Amino acid sequence: MKKAYTLITVLALLLSLSLPAAAQESEGAKIIAGLPHPDLKWSVPEVGKDVQRVQLDNGMILYMMEDNRLPLVNVSVLVRCGTAYVPLEQMAIPDMTTAVMRTGGTTHVSPDSLNALLESIGGTLETFTGYDNSSATLNVMSKDTELGIRLLADVLRNPAFPEDKIDLKKTDVKTDIKRRNDNPSGILSREFYHLIYGDFPRGRILEWQYAKPITRRELVDYHQRYFAPNNVMIGITGKFDSKMMVEMVKQYFGDWKKKAVAIPQIPQAPETPRPGVFIVEKDINQANIRFGHLGVNRDNPDRYAISVMNYILGGGSFTSRISSKVRSDEGLSYSVATRYQVDEVDQGVFFAYCFTKSNTTHKAMQLMLDEVNRIRQGEVSDEELKSAKDSYINSYVFEFTTPAQIVSQLMGLEFNQRPPDLLRDYIDNVRKVTKKDVLRVAQKYLRPESLTFVVVGNPKNFDLPLDDFGKVTSIELKEPVLD
Amino acid sequence: MVKKVILILLLGGLISWQTAFPQEQINIDVKEKVLSNGMQILVVENHVAPVFSTIVRFKVGAVDEHTGITGISHLLEHMLFKGTKIFGTRDFAVEKPLMRQMDVLADSLEQEKAKLRNPLAGGSEDRVKALRQQIADIQAEQAKYIIKDELWETYLKNGGDGLNASTGTNGTQYYVSLPSNRLELWTFMEADRLANLQLREFYSERDVVREERRQRTETTPRGAVQEAMSAAAHWASPYRWNVIGWGSDLDNMSRSDVEKHFRTYYSPSNAIACIVGDVKPEEVFALCEKYFGAIPVSPLPPPVLTDDAPQKGERRVEVEFDASPIAAVGWHMPQAGHPDMAPLDVLSDILSRGRTSRFYKNIVEKKLGRASAGISFSRYPDLFTMNITPMGNHTIDEVLAAAFAEIERLKTELVAQWEIDKVRNQADADFIRSLNSNGGIAWRLADMQATVGNWHYIIDYRDEIKRVTAEDIMRVTQKYLTKGNRTVVTLVKPEPDAVGGAPADAGQ
Repeated sequence: MKKAYTLITVLALLLSLSLPAAAQESEGAKIIAGLPHPDLKWSVPEVGKDVQRVQLDNGMILYMMEDNRLPLVNVSVLVRCGTAYVPLEQMAIPDMTTAVMRTGGTTHVSPDSLNALLESIGGTLETFTGYDNSSATLNVMSKDTELGIRLLADVLRNPAFPEDKIDLKKTDVKTDIKRRNDNPSGILSREFYHLIYGDFPRGRILEWQYAKPITRRELVDYHQRYFAPNNVMIGITGKFDSKMMVEMVKQYFGDWKKKAVAIPQIPQAPETPRPGVFIVEKDINQANIRFGHLGVNRDNPDRYAISVMNYILGGGSFTSRISSKVRSDEGLSYSVATRYQVDEVDQGVFFAYCFTKSNTTHKAMQLMLDEVNRIRQGEVSDEELKSAKDSYINSYVFEFTTPAQIVSQLMGLEFNQRPPDLLRDYIDNVRKVTKKDVLRVAQKYLRPESLTFVVVGNPKNFDLPLDDFGKVTSIELKEPVLD
Repeated sequence: MVKKVILILLLGGLISWQTAFPQEQINIDVKEKVLSNGMQILVVENHVAPVFSTIVRFKVGAVDEHTGITGISHLLEHMLFKGTKIFGTRDFAVEKPLMRQMDVLADSLEQEKAKLRNPLAGGSEDRVKALRQQIADIQAEQAKYIIKDELWETYLKNGGDGLNASTGTNGTQYYVSLPSNRLELWTFMEADRLANLQLREFYSERDVVREERRQRTETTPRGAVQEAMSAAAHWASPYRWNVIGWGSDLDNMSRSDVEKHFRTYYSPSNAIACIVGDVKPEEVFALCEKYFGAIPVSPLPPPVLTDDAPQKGERRVEVEFDASPIAAVGWHMPQAGHPDMAPLDVLSDILSRGRTSRFYKNIVEKKLGRASAGISFSRYPDLFTMNITPMGNHTIDEVLAAAFAEIERLKTELVAQWEIDKVRNQADADFIRSLNSNGGIAWRLADMQATVGNWHYIIDYRDEIKRVTAEDIMRVTQKYLTKGNRTVVTLVKPEPDAVGGAPADAGQ
């Protein structure tokens, strides 16, 4: 029944494409074409013009942009360290370090005092660990700027790492490990990355055996190794006077001693794809599906064409081919899309995902795979290409709508050691992408023959066995070891 | 030693509040206009970037539904993206009779399905199949004329950012931010979907929402607990079902049900549009009058009159689910605008906001579990809720006992002044931060205007928060957070050797 519907729809689509362009347009589209679209006066913000950049003598780099609308100050700090730089058995250290830097107080301010000081002024100070950066954020009212900057500097420079807060963080980690099989989407993501990257940093699964033995000494060492002024960037926006702000930052960070920071190479995951179907059995009434393979890094010159290709395939929400087919035509899924990561320091991934009831699992997977194959077989239409490029070009202004966003973009450019013209040239680079480019990158960077499929669900209720997609392997959900 | 330091610094905090925290005078310059058909327009200028954010909010949510059509507000929200008489179609005149034919068949299908559910009524599986096939055939015929997702694509092509919509128990809202040269486009598109909506691709979209229910509610532990909480705590009030609705209602809802819901609740007088950003109010008003103003006046929808009777006795519900234990507790509390709302709000923050909160100090730092409390700022009386996640090997009972002990303590001991002060300052800072983005301002204004009928209440409510005293907090704790007024839902793993039980939906 549904099959017939699919066939006719595809036919209708083909028919419509052969009609002259005018017949395809809706009445509404014609009206919109006649509406006034005055030019947008806008350009990509620049360092030295919209944003100030200052480097302290100790190497710390400061980005600033004043914004006098509201009595707020926002600070964001980037530090070059993170989970990418540590070996497997130390994988718990980066997050434990940044967590306890905040919860454990400093050598001058006890944890309770730090919390009370911040909360009494309605401020927040938080620290995070990422993949190739760690970060801190501070949000305070302008009148509390000095207190905020002082506490931020103290947390970054002089964390106390008390044992009781290390224990608390360990309990937190243990709780998360214990509960990691509760939500199917969490299982899906974890197993997918582990299959693609194995025990390389992006694929690691945190086990209690790695977290349990961590000592205070290891957190202190990790902090000592990476938290140095010449390894830190700080971005400040809000209501303040820039001259005074520079002085204040110098006052609290200026005497922080510069030192040599050795940044290890990020290990590159080898191209050893694990094609096949991996089923994680869980007694739920919906299959959680994801399939993909290793992709590209951010230096790839085809990144714009890849993004446009992915937008048309499954990245452009409802407008994309996969969503249009699986969601809108067939009603098989609420969340269905593809991602092609092009902004990663090392190799990102391509993947497609969808959630569908058990007895349409095979059907939905096949429809998604068909679209991956189709975009490699022929050029996309002019309309598809224009729609994708217009969307990227016209929405680019939204990357720069608040001072905090602007500083984050410009500081991120320097932190990530990207070409200085990257932001300015973005629109031109998108504009250059052609239909030929889209086909070429689809053929080069989508590899249907080496896809790793992961499905979390109850295979007893699937519509068909999944061995059409490759050799089926079962992944058993084990109770995590927590001794 | 550590204690001493705390005392000194807390005092410091106190002094800084009294001396150095003058009330920040923040003005939001809101320009208002009510169109001739009753639609309300709110505009705030912000010229920092050449963009604007919008919300169109309708005062309709799950609370406006009844059994049989639960989840319909949310399904309707999905349908608002399916086009109109002039968008999403190559030839509306051909499509229209096809949709009528489908409605007739859908009615027959519903009747046949009802017969099937009654073993003695003589319903026919074959007849159901045949009807489904006929509907699918017509839908396939209609598909030839459909331009897929044209409204969505038009917004994206024009630089639309944050394009989405959401439905809650109290309201439904549509958002998009656009470059400032697209103001007329936005006004035209939004007015068009109110004036000319067409519910095409209805049955596949209903299936999409059915999958959304599986994804959000049926396969996640928090979703399962949330649904059980609403159903157990509310015996009469329509907050009884969640926004997503009951699965069987979604399976059987008809296009005409949804159309009726649209006509009843999407009247201009039940709508608020809020536009914030690089715009000129006069220009916005003129465009709104031109496009939205052309939509005819229609009557206001009916209010919800069904209330829960006062709860007499604790309710306990267990949900079996293949996940580690969690729990939720709900206490009946009053609606937005009630004078006890602000004290309950401050109370919830004293309990669980931040690392100086009582739950954090006495539950999290003692490694018992994670615990959070929160109010509902709803149109009708709703729940004060608490969520519990045990840490390590602790049990639900241990964490619940610790949380209840904190609540009992508040009934006999006044909270400290510093606790009230910090919550006031946090609320103040939240308020100011919410004004930092166009989208944030639009949300705050539209939400308050819709919930209590007056956006200015965001300022008044901030003042109410500032007036809350320690005595108020003790009083509302005694009044609402009682054993007899609460419902406790716990999620437990099914017994491994359990046999029989209710048949599970196998996703068929």
